[in-house]
Amino acid sequence: MGLVNFLIYLATMMGIYGILALGLNFHYGSSGLLNFGHVGFFAIGAYTSTLITKAGAPFLVGVLLAGVAGGLLGFIIALPTSKLSVHYWAITTLGVGEIIRLIAVNEEWLTRGSFGIPGIPQPLRSVIPASVYPIFYLGIVMAFLGLTYFIIRKLVNSPFGRVLKAVREEEDLALAMGRPVFHFKVKAMAVGAIFAGIAGALFAHYMTYISPLDFMPIVTFIIWAMVIVGGRGNEVGSIVGAITIVIFFNSTRFLKDYLPLSGQTVASLRMVAIGILLILVVLFMRGGLVREKKKVYKI
Amino acid sequence: MPFSQIILNSIIRGSQLGLLAIGVTMIFAILRFANFAHGEFAVVGAYLTFLFSVTLKLNLLTAAVFAVGLTGLIGVLSNQLIFKRLREAGGLVLLIAAMGLSITLRHIVSAIWGSDPLSYEHVLGKTYTFLGARITSIQLFILVVAGIAVFFFYLLLHKTKLGKAMRALSDNSSLAQARGINVERIIIWVWFICACYAGIGGILIAWETLLWPELGFQMLLPVFCAAILGGIGNVYGALVGAMILGFAENVGLYLDWSKIIGLFGVFDTSRAIQIPTGYKYAITFVILVIVLIFMPTGILKGQKGD
Repeated sequence: MGLVNFLIYLATMMGIYGILALGLNFHYGSSGLLNFGHVGFFAIGAYTSTLITKAGAPFLVGVLLAGVAGGLLGFIIALPTSKLSVHYWAITTLGVGEIIRLIAVNEEWLTRGSFGIPGIPQPLRSVIPASVYPIFYLGIVMAFLGLTYFIIRKLVNSPFGRVLKAVREEEDLALAMGRPVFHFKVKAMAVGAIFAGIAGALFAHYMTYISPLDFMPIVTFIIWAMVIVGGRGNEVGSIVGAITIVIFFNSTRFLKDYLPLSGQTVASLRMVAIGILLILVVLFMRGGLVREKKKVYKI
Repeated sequence: MPFSQIILNSIIRGSQLGLLAIGVTMIFAILRFANFAHGEFAVVGAYLTFLFSVTLKLNLLTAAVFAVGLTGLIGVLSNQLIFKRLREAGGLVLLIAAMGLSITLRHIVSAIWGSDPLSYEHVLGKTYTFLGARITSIQLFILVVAGIAVFFFYLLLHKTKLGKAMRALSDNSSLAQARGINVERIIIWVWFICACYAGIGGILIAWETLLWPELGFQMLLPVFCAAILGGIGNVYGALVGAMILGFAENVGLYLDWSKIIGLFGVFDTSRAIQIPTGYKYAITFVILVIVLIFMPTGILKGQKGD
C-alpha cells in the first residue's frame, strides 16, 4: 500500500508540474518570452484559491479564480516590459516571483506569513472514502492536465500561435508583417500564467497546507529544467520533462540512506545536478528530449 | 537614528552594490548578456575566504587575496567551459546557461558548507562617531577597499592597453577584431576581473553581515537594477546607479511617507506611514520597473541589448 500511495503521489506531482511546464513552455517555447518568475504565478494561484475556498467558495470557483489571478499578474507584468529585450524580461520576472513571495511572508493578516495556511479544504472530501481519495484527486489533476494540454495545443496551432512563433523566430519580421507584436507578447504571458495559477490551486488543495517556503525561486528553475530537458516548443516534451525531473527528484531522495551524507547535503547535490543538467542540455542537446516539429510551408 | 547614519549606511550599501554592478555591466558591454551567475561569484569569493581564514587559519587579508584570485579563475573557467561555446547563441540561451551555472555554484557551496549562516572570526574593532553617525572599523575598511578597487578599475580602463582594448570591444567588437585585437584573450581577462570584483564585493558583504549561500542571489536584483539605472554597459553609470540604489533603499525605509501621501489630502495621514523593512527588496523592484518604463537606457547613456 505504501508503494501504491507513493506512486499516486508521484503521478499527482507530475500532473501539477506538467501543467506548470506547459505554461512555461507556452512562454518560452512557443513565444520566446523569458520568464524567470514562474513560481510567482504558481504562488498567487495557490494563495487565491486557498483564501477563497477557506471563505466558503467551492473548489472549482477557487481553481478558476486562481487562473484569473495568475493571468492578471502575467498581464500586468508584461505591460511595462513587453517592448524590452530578453535580459530585462528575465530580471523583471525574477523580481515579480520574489515580490509575490515577500507579500506572502509579510502580509500576515492575509496569509499568516511564514506560519503558512493549514487546513485547506479538499473537494468532495466528505463524500469519497479516505482510502481512495488520493486516486480521486489524481483524477482531478489529470483532467486539468489534459485540459491544459488540449487548450495549449489548440492555441499553438491557431493563427494566434503562429504569430507567436513568428515573434519568437524573428520579431522584426512579425512586426513588419503588420502584427502588433507587443499585444501578442502580453497575451502570451497572460495565457501561460493562467495555467500556472491553476497549477497553484491544484497544489494547494492537494497539500492542504501552503507556506511561502513552497514558493522559493528555485521552483522556477526546476520547471525550467523540465521545459529545457523535455524540448523547447513541444507540448509532449514539457510533460516528458516534468515526468523525468519528478522521478529524478524523488529517486535521489533515498540516496541519503545509502551514502554517508545528510539530507540537506543530498538536497543541495540534487540541485547541483539540475544546474549541470541545464548547462549540458544548452551546450549539447539544445532541442531537448522531444524535438519541436517545425512545419515547413511550401511557397 | 540620525539622518547622517542613514547617509552612511547608504554609502556602504552603495559601494558593496557597486563592486558587483561593475562586473555585470562590463560583461553586458562586451558579451551582450545579463550574467545571472554574477552573484554566485560573490558567494564563492566569500566562502573561499572563510575556508582560508577560519578553516586553514590564514590571516584574513591573505585569505581574501587568495580567495579573490581563485574566484577570478572560476570566472575564467566558466567562460572556457560554457560561455565560449555559446558565442553565436542568442540572449535566451546565454541567460539559461548563466542560470544553470548560478544554480550549480550556489548549491555546490551549500553542499560543502551547509545553508546555515557563518561568519568570519570577528575582529571586534573600534566604533567611531562621525557627525552623529556610528561607523565600525570594519565598515570604514569596506569603504576604503571599495574606493581603492574603483580607482584601480579606472586606472585599468584608461591607463592600460587592456583597458583600451576592453573599451574598444564594448564599442564595436567586430571592428576591434579587425584592428587586430585578440578578442578571446580580452574576454578571458574581462571574466577574470569581473569575477574578482564580485569576489571582493562578496567578502565585504559577508564581513559586515553574515555569510550564507543565498547572499549572491539576494543581491542579483539590486545589482542589475543599479546597472540598468546607471545605463547598462557603462561602468561609471553602474557606480552611480549603485549609490542611488543604496540611498533609495535606506532613505525609502527611513522616510515617513505620510507627509508625501498627505499632500493630496485624500488619505488620513495623522499616523506615520513607513515602508516595512520586509519590503526593502520591493523598493528596488519598483525603481527597476520605473526605470525600465521611462528610461530603459539609464541615467548615463548605456546600451540597449539585443
